[in-house]
Amino acid sequence: MAAPEVNHLFHHPIADHSFSADRQTLAVARENNIDLYQRSGDKYTLKDELTGHDKTVTGVDIAPKSGKIVTCSQDRNAYVWEHSPQGGWKPTLVLLRINRAATCVRWAPSESKFAVGSGARLIPVCYFEEEDNWWVSKHIKKPIRSTITSVAWHPNSVLLAAGSTDGHARVLSAFVKGVDERPEPSPWGERLPFNTVCGEFLNNTAGWVHSVAFSPSGNALAFASHDSNLTVVYPSQADQPPKAVLSISTQVLPFMSLLWSSETEIIAAGYNCEAFRLQGSEDGWQLAGSLESKGRPGVQDQREESALNMFRQMDLKGKVTDDTKLKTVHQNTINTIRPFEEAGGNVTKVSSTGVDGRVVIWSL
Amino acid sequence: MANVNWRTINIDALDPDSPANFDLSSLTPSVTPVSTADVQSTAGQIRQLLRGGDNEGALQGALENPPYGGDDKGKEVHLATVIEILQSIRQADMSPILSRLYSAPGGTEVLDVLMKYIYKGMAQSNAANAANTANSSRMLTPQHTSTRMLTPQTTGFSQISSRGGEGGGQAMSVLLSWHEKLVEIAGPGSIVRVMADRRTV
Repeated sequence: MAAPEVNHLFHHPIADHSFSADRQTLAVARENNIDLYQRSGDKYTLKDELTGHDKTVTGVDIAPKSGKIVTCSQDRNAYVWEHSPQGGWKPTLVLLRINRAATCVRWAPSESKFAVGSGARLIPVCYFEEEDNWWVSKHIKKPIRSTITSVAWHPNSVLLAAGSTDGHARVLSAFVKGVDERPEPSPWGERLPFNTVCGEFLNNTAGWVHSVAFSPSGNALAFASHDSNLTVVYPSQADQPPKAVLSISTQVLPFMSLLWSSETEIIAAGYNCEAFRLQGSEDGWQLAGSLESKGRPGVQDQREESALNMFRQMDLKGKVTDDTKLKTVHQNTINTIRPFEEAGGNVTKVSSTGVDGRVVIWSL
Repeated sequence: MANVNWRTINIDALDPDSPANFDLSSLTPSVTPVSTADVQSTAGQIRQLLRGGDNEGALQGALENPPYGGDDKGKEVHLATVIEILQSIRQADMSPILSRLYSAPGGTEVLDVLMKYIYKGMAQSNAANAANTANSSRMLTPQHTSTRMLTPQTTGFSQISSRGGEGGGQAMSVLLSWHEKLVEIAGPGSIVRVMADRRTV
């Protein structure tokens, strides 16, 4: 396992990040702006800055095929940024019609629409109306009782998973007539008009949900909640109780973000400042360990060990070892973890960002 | 209209869908109601085990049936039972018992329940102490007692005010050593779960 690639961008929290499909461009949400970094050699250099939001940016997503960037912010707006041929980025305002902050945003795999989570207890699903040359939003409203903290798309671009602070992870239909084709029947359901509730899941502790994700096939759903649980749901068929709902109570602090690297492996990271690997199937899941290689030689923790340095440390700080650094690569909570590189349907590298302003790329 | 300060209007109260206007318990898994009599009878069975010297069985039995659906009285009875068991187990036996409970099926759940009782016990022994000191020092002016009663709530450093009651301090030290051993095994995840869980003991 190769050592993780660490890039310390700045001393600010990164709310969300996204890589372009060619992995040359990195977009990070930094306060009210989105910073675009260009890869040069093994470093990332600041290339562009997308300004327009006037409150903290909470979500950013680059569409892999079209390269369009969607961002959302606590100012209740979303923008779609397109690269203009003359250079520079042209923003288009999307009217979300929400009265609370937008919390997260994700492109559907089809890239014809995106979903925004919000504090207004609804999910605007936005698509482009050719006739009016305008992004239109349709609201998923019904069973949502509280802020949506995360959204994730099913590979068919119709089903949407949403995690909420009311403790539920829901699977909803975001089918838009004229934009989507009728989806293949799946274990989640067959007829899926807009706002169909295909499932509402809750674990025993009912902590608020931080992150949701569909497995690569779309036939399983995982969600991580603030009770340090990670729950995996295997649906059976429409209107039937799921085949299995497996809850893993971990010993570590809650996970903020998770992704499926394959059908049998989940990578999750959060308040422990390190990423964990979980493995399992319908029969059970367990925590398989950390992505950090413990006692990595020669990284950070190994400092100059001369007598001079020792006495200098004792003089300056009254102690020899510097214990203000965490043993993990990230020095604060990890907010977002995303697939970076895939091979043969499995994710082989993931990227993580957190409150410490670092972007770390991990080989699995 | 002009003199209505619209910034102070509670818009949530006017929105029928707002969280202020629906029953929060509809968001949590439902709990079955338990009568105080039932709690008392299980407490009796558990005491039987305890008298027979089976501390571990008693602890497991008590933690597997927490009266989530009970009323305050029932919950208090069960808390007293759990505290009694905890106090009857020697410090050296704590870790082995905890690791056996943890490795049993449903072990994390059992230890989470234990964590809930430890926190509840800590809260309880403070309250009991405050009441004790208040009772034992009746001659104090009412003003004085009331400040005493208030101190634990306002500062949060309740141990300071409960120094007088030696019995409470002992109960607290038992709970603290259980807490230490429990975190070693169940990790900080257990604490977070107890804080997030709406099923209270």
